[in-house]
Amino acid sequence: MATVRQTDVNRLLDAAQTQVQKNRQRLEKGLDILLAREEPLVGVTPKDVIYSRGTLRLYHYRPMSDEVYRVPVVFVMSLVSKPFILDLTFGQSFVQYMLAQGFDVFMVDWGIPRPEDKRLKLDDYVLDFMPRCFEEVQKATGEKDYSILGYCMGGQLALMHAGLNPGAPIANMVCAATPVDMEGMGLFRHFSDRRWFDVDRLVDAVGNIPPDFMLRSFEMLRPMDRWMSYVRLLDNLWDPVFVYGYRVMYKWTNEQIPFAGEAYRQMIRELMWENKLMKNTLTLDNRRVDTKAITCPVLNVMAEHDHIAPFAATKPLTSLVSSRDTDEVVLKGGHVSLVAGKNAVGRLWPKVAEWLGERSV
Amino acid sequence: MPETSTRTDGAAGEAMELWRNWLTETERQWNSFFAEVMGRDSFGRVAGSYMEAYSVVQRALNQGMERYLNTFNLPTHSDVVELGERLHNIEERLATLEANLNNLASAAGIPTTAAVTQLRPRRTRRPRTSKNESK
Repeated sequence: MATVRQTDVNRLLDAAQTQVQKNRQRLEKGLDILLAREEPLVGVTPKDVIYSRGTLRLYHYRPMSDEVYRVPVVFVMSLVSKPFILDLTFGQSFVQYMLAQGFDVFMVDWGIPRPEDKRLKLDDYVLDFMPRCFEEVQKATGEKDYSILGYCMGGQLALMHAGLNPGAPIANMVCAATPVDMEGMGLFRHFSDRRWFDVDRLVDAVGNIPPDFMLRSFEMLRPMDRWMSYVRLLDNLWDPVFVYGYRVMYKWTNEQIPFAGEAYRQMIRELMWENKLMKNTLTLDNRRVDTKAITCPVLNVMAEHDHIAPFAATKPLTSLVSSRDTDEVVLKGGHVSLVAGKNAVGRLWPKVAEWLGERSV
Repeated sequence: MPETSTRTDGAAGEAMELWRNWLTETERQWNSFFAEVMGRDSFGRVAGSYMEAYSVVQRALNQGMERYLNTFNLPTHSDVVELGERLHNIEERLATLEANLNNLASAAGIPTTAAVTQLRPRRTRRPRTSKNESK
């Protein structure tokens, strides 16, 4: 009986010690967050800036192997968020994964629009900046053709570029979480309904759309997410891996960037109100964006529970193009976990690498 | 007694699991509730009115501040933006000059990029699943 009691006491002591240890880690990690100590490093995959213009930077990531696929792949980021979501941190970087799989990877980083960039229109991004970047990619690789991987709005820009330039040597196009049918944009469409949302008055008043405005509009789609993420953080504050992952994602979510005013006006008027990309009636600089002229292989990657680019808005993408070689991947998870996180590491990245690999020789 | 203790640990674990499930469910329900409320036209109108008021105030503030700074002969936001634009134009021209010089240098066989970017890997890789690889 005495032995049993001794065992129990030991067990209790062990449990107490574990709790003390956990609480010590909670305190330590909590202070790290509160005092912004040891900020996680993001976007650290070695790269060279091979072209820059205004805030735009074109990165060429240093290959990780002696032999790469012939066709380079160019990541095109959205205009509303920082591109390090695709190159988060070691072991959680899509870019790094693609390099390890033998791809020659480039990335178009639009940078943070300055006040004077308020006049930039989609026309500038699609008809000027993007073609210039692709020319630089061609120069750097010596290859004529290239694949484009667009995330979120980056996919829309890729579609516009391809639709405007039927002769462009685009080998493949991967669109991830790319909304095309604005009828399916849910609350976003409702918030920006022309009956109550005066986009002209807003853009005329503020120029570039402030980052805080963008952040709040995303948060309003799921108002509880932020508060529940704090509760989950408290629950897991003792776990360094969880806390690191939380801080990396928190950094990305909260480092919102402004949206160039004129481009925003166009997005709302042409895409959100008129749904012109879906109706194939969009024009940029008086030239028609004909998505039906797109014939390259297209992979559409969607998230089932995406609240920013809902499934209903992303699903019709392959129906807009004339490509014979189209493929769709629907993954569980949301807008961000589609390209970063466990789901992405285990499912999306290998799928994209396999799909592109077969078409990049 | 050890059995009791294991049972206690298990019960605590279960309680935590229940609590986490409850949290997830609560989050889902509240999000659905807010989505339903914000999906109403009345909410849209209120949000629209707020945005309109925000735009009016922002514009009035900008104009007031411009007048105020002009009175004291101080640079305004527009002045700074204008300077930024001029700087941007200079940067653009420099970039064009640099690009042209690079083209000339490339034509003359002079390297223009860092040594590491000149290390070009062979572009002959084939997917693992291809027949060529498996042979």
